[in-house]
Amino acid sequence: MSQPLVHIQNLEKSYGAFQAVKGISFEVGVGEIFALIGPNGAGKSTTLRMLATLLTPSAGVAEIAGLSVTTEAEKIRYLISYLPEEAGAYKNLTGRAYLYFMAGLYAEKTEDRDRFVMRGERICALGDRLNDKISTYSKGMTRKLLLARTVMSEPKLCILDEPTSGLDVVNAMEIRQTIRNLANEGMSVLLSSHNMLEIEFLSDRVGLISDGVLHDIGTAQALKEKYHAENLEQVFIAATKS
Amino acid sequence: MNKFRILLGKELRELITPQIILPLVITVIVFLGLGKVIGSQVQKTQKAHELVIVDKDNTAASTIIKDALAASGFTLSEHDSFSSDEAIAAAKADKASSVVIIPAGFSHGLIAGSPQNIATYSIVQNFSIFGAQDYSRLKAGIAAVNEAISTQLISNHTGTDPAFLKNPVHTAETVVVGDKQASAAAEAILGFISSQTTFIPIILFFVITFAAQMIATTIASEKENKTLETLLSLPVKRQYIVATKMLAAGIVAAGASILYLIGMRSYISNLTGSGSSSGVHDAAVSLGLILHSSQYVLLGLSLFLAILIALAIALILGAFAEDVRGAQGLVAPMTVLILVPYLLTFFVDTQSLTPLARYAILAIPFSHPFLAGSNLMLGNYAQVWFGIGYQLLWFLALLWVATRIFTTDRIVTLKLSFGKKRKSSV
Repeated sequence: MSQPLVHIQNLEKSYGAFQAVKGISFEVGVGEIFALIGPNGAGKSTTLRMLATLLTPSAGVAEIAGLSVTTEAEKIRYLISYLPEEAGAYKNLTGRAYLYFMAGLYAEKTEDRDRFVMRGERICALGDRLNDKISTYSKGMTRKLLLARTVMSEPKLCILDEPTSGLDVVNAMEIRQTIRNLANEGMSVLLSSHNMLEIEFLSDRVGLISDGVLHDIGTAQALKEKYHAENLEQVFIAATKS
Repeated sequence: MNKFRILLGKELRELITPQIILPLVITVIVFLGLGKVIGSQVQKTQKAHELVIVDKDNTAASTIIKDALAASGFTLSEHDSFSSDEAIAAAKADKASSVVIIPAGFSHGLIAGSPQNIATYSIVQNFSIFGAQDYSRLKAGIAAVNEAISTQLISNHTGTDPAFLKNPVHTAETVVVGDKQASAAAEAILGFISSQTTFIPIILFFVITFAAQMIATTIASEKENKTLETLLSLPVKRQYIVATKMLAAGIVAAGASILYLIGMRSYISNLTGSGSSSGVHDAAVSLGLILHSSQYVLLGLSLFLAILIALAIALILGAFAEDVRGAQGLVAPMTVLILVPYLLTFFVDTQSLTPLARYAILAIPFSHPFLAGSNLMLGNYAQVWFGIGYQLLWFLALLWVATRIFTTDRIVTLKLSFGKKRKSSV
């Protein structure tokens, strides 16, 4: 891997006596989709929230484009875009007004803002429904709008926490395809999921995390070969047992 | 792009919703309508009232009674041959609230020097304040009758001016406020000041509590609607997020309070009428009891700081709440802190309290705008400036805490669950 965009070394996060993340290390390259997979409570969301500058690490190194999430959080927010799990949008706004609001906070000039919004409109593909209030949207429509919001400003790193959680098959497939296309355009993506099939389809490399510990990292194919497994679920079981 | 303006616009759009606007407009319309209804009722009570009189004496003395009642604002409907029952029936038919019966021999009795009775009947038609005014008016009319009869008797029995005998001592009333004096009755001045300032603490109380509720709700609704984490990950200064939320809540609260002020003023002015004479107003001006523009600036500054303090406290409390209901529950006790000085300054002279109680009230930062009005009128500028300085210290300390919460991960991790099971977010 050339110069990594994300560099994490012995990263830890504790809430009082409870240690949610126990010294994990990994890197994400430019244009790479890196997925953290693991069950609920494994430490995936906490790791993503530290990189999204929402949580302060208790120990270790977490850098994005050479900037520390602890001391240079404000600068990092210009480089990243974060889609939390179960995220919501401002329901009183129309879909288009929401995109304009968000684009205005990323753009330096009006032209940039308009370009971001056009890109967002294209990615979410909601058409005329963008003129309706978000309160009238289905869960799938809201998630598409939020994903479009996340990627429209062309961040260097997209952090997606369970991007297809709770969506039906059709909506989930569309969102996966969108993420794949964006990575092909050069955007780095760090995502979490407990859907192993989704990860196998989407990611370039996978990190297996459980109980705050990162057990193994590799491509889906390499991991399956290493653990003599047919799929990532079997890989995960074998890796966490060992 | 001006990110502060963009965030402020979003906050205002989130706050100015039909759910906020509609109750506000309805309340103002109700106040205005109530004011109009009460105003027309006040005008009605000020008109001449029907009174049925039965004069069985028909002498010069009974004429004095009728003249005195007419001068007291009654339109007399005379039925000299009626019995009391017939007079009451006539009064009911004419919607008159009073009947007066002057018995035969009334004049003779007075000349003989024995006190005489006249019979009055009050017909109760309702139990409202305005209904009660009919009976006080009759009482005032009877007092006027006594005054007129006694004047006549004094005049008949002595050669002295009855006015002198009744009021041999006159007073020259002067009100002193600080080093200023004015010729006026203290009661009239106090009544005037009260009518001018009654609504100020009401509006203060409303603005502070409304603004606090709104900002706590806006933070909690960001948490409830799962938009806070996205907002915090955006490339904007966290201080902007804090400031725009406070400013938007302040703007909406100020707008709402202006609307309430219009409704309340209309209601109170209709209730009390234009009231005082220009003489009382002039006396109040010469006593320095009418606030001038620079004093209004100081009062406004004190109020502004109280609103900022309330916003900062509510912002901190809102950060603890998991949802809107929780936020409103957390902010509710703060209204007690506002209610205590509001009620105390309304009913009690804080200077007369024990030092401990007085310092306890002064320690509450919300007390100072309630006290500022009277302190400014009484020229106690040092106390006003002390209050403003004290409020400023409170605000800076609270702002520091609020900013610390928003610039660290406490805004994400803080929560009060009120006994609910803590949901894992690992």
